[in-house]
Amino acid sequence: MLRTDTMPPLLKMPPQIIRLVLLTIGIVCVYFTARFFLVPPSFGQYGHYRGIALQEIAAREPYWAGRKACDTCHGEIVKKLAKAEHQGLSCETCHGPSKAHVENPEVKLPKLSYSQCVRCHEASPSRPKWLHQITPDKHYTGQVCSECHVPHQPNEVP
Amino acid sequence: MSDNVTRRSVLKNLAGIVGGILAMPAGRTCKAAVQNVFAIAPAPKGYDPNQHKWLMALDVDKCIGCGMCVEACKAENNVPQNYFRTWIERYVITRPKAGSGESRGETFVDSTNGGIGGFKPSLIPKEDILKSFFVPKMCNLCEHSPCTQVCPVGATFEAPDGAVLVDKNYCIGCGFCIQACPYGCRFFNPETHTADKCTLCYHRITRGLKPACVEICPSQARIFGDLKNPVPDDPLRRFMESNKVEELKKSLGTGPRVLYAGLDEEVR
Repeated sequence: MLRTDTMPPLLKMPPQIIRLVLLTIGIVCVYFTARFFLVPPSFGQYGHYRGIALQEIAAREPYWAGRKACDTCHGEIVKKLAKAEHQGLSCETCHGPSKAHVENPEVKLPKLSYSQCVRCHEASPSRPKWLHQITPDKHYTGQVCSECHVPHQPNEVP
Repeated sequence: MSDNVTRRSVLKNLAGIVGGILAMPAGRTCKAAVQNVFAIAPAPKGYDPNQHKWLMALDVDKCIGCGMCVEACKAENNVPQNYFRTWIERYVITRPKAGSGESRGETFVDSTNGGIGGFKPSLIPKEDILKSFFVPKMCNLCEHSPCTQVCPVGATFEAPDGAVLVDKNYCIGCGFCIQACPYGCRFFNPETHTADKCTLCYHRITRGLKPACVEICPSQARIFGDLKNPVPDDPLRRFMESNKVEELKKSLGTGPRVLYAGLDEEVR
C-alpha cells in the first residue's frame, strides 16, 4: 500500500492514479528502449527509410565499362567516331561488355559479325524514317558489311 | 516442484533472462553494424544525394527497337529471366476500314521477351499499317510515387536525388508496391524474394557513369542528366529545348521524372 500521508503535496493523489502514472511512465520507457534497439541507426537520415540503404545499393560493381574508359586508350577511334553518324554510339554497344578488357588489356574482345549491323539496320515499318535501313535478302547478299562500310565512319568508303 | 527452488535461484534465473533479452538486440545491432561496414565498403565515396537531381528523357522518334537497352539492363543488374526493369513496346496502329469515317484502325501492342534480341516482323501486313513505333518503358521515377506510399515497412523510398529505390534488407515481399505502380514497373524477384525495380543504375550514376540502358542505346533515344549539375552542351537541356515533352498518365499526379518526346495518344 502506498502511504500518501508522508508524501510531498504534489504526489498526494489517489493511489490508483499514481499507479496509472507509473504504468504510463513504464510503458513510455519500454517504448523508447525498444525503439533505441530496433530502429536502425541511419533511419531518418534522408527520410522515412534507412539512409545506409543508398550506399548498399550503390555498392554493386558496374558491369559495363562505359565510353569514358575506352577513351583513355582508344581516344583516336573515339574522336573519329564523333565525326560521323555513329557518333552517339557507345563502344560497348557493338563490341560488347569490355570491363575485363579495361582492367587487363591482354583480354581481347570477340570479333564482330554481320548480325551486329543487321540488328539495328534491318528494315522494319516500326523503325523511324531517319534510320538507314536495308533488307538483308536484297542488299548485296553474301557480302560482308565492312567490305563497303566503315563501322567507325559509316559515310566513308574503305 | 522440487525442493531446491529457492528465492535466490529464481532471482538468478530471472536476472539471466532479463539480461539475455537486453543483450540480444544489442548484439544484433552490433552484428548488423559490422555487416553494414562490409556491405557499403565498395560504395563510391563522396556522393551526396542532396547535390543531384536526376532526370531521364525518352525520345520515341529515336527508338529503333533493337532491344539493346533491355539486354544491357539485364546484364548490369542481374535481372532474372522473364522479368524486366526496362522493356520496349511495339505499337502497330492499323489503317481505318474504308468508308468507316475513322481516323485510325485498331492498335496492337506487343513486347516479345521485353524486346530482347529485337522484334520479329509484325504479323500485320505492311499495307495495313497506318503507323508503327517503339516505346521504351521503365520506372517513371515518380516524385509522388504510389509505390512508396503503400510500403508498410519503409523499405521503398524516393531518394533526395530523384531515384526511387528498394531497401532489399527491409523489404518483406508483401507486394503492395507491385500492385500500386500504375506503370507496371515493379516485379517480385523470385531470387531475392523482394520487390525489384529499376534503380536508375544507382551504382553507376554514383560513380559518374550513365545508367546501362543509356550507355548502350545506339540511337540516343534515352537521355539522362543531372538537373542540379548541368554539363556543358547538356544533352538534357538540348532535349528540353527541341522537343514537346509529355509524361505518362499525367492525370494520376504521380509527377514522373521520366519525360517522353513524340508520344502518341495511344501510349499508356
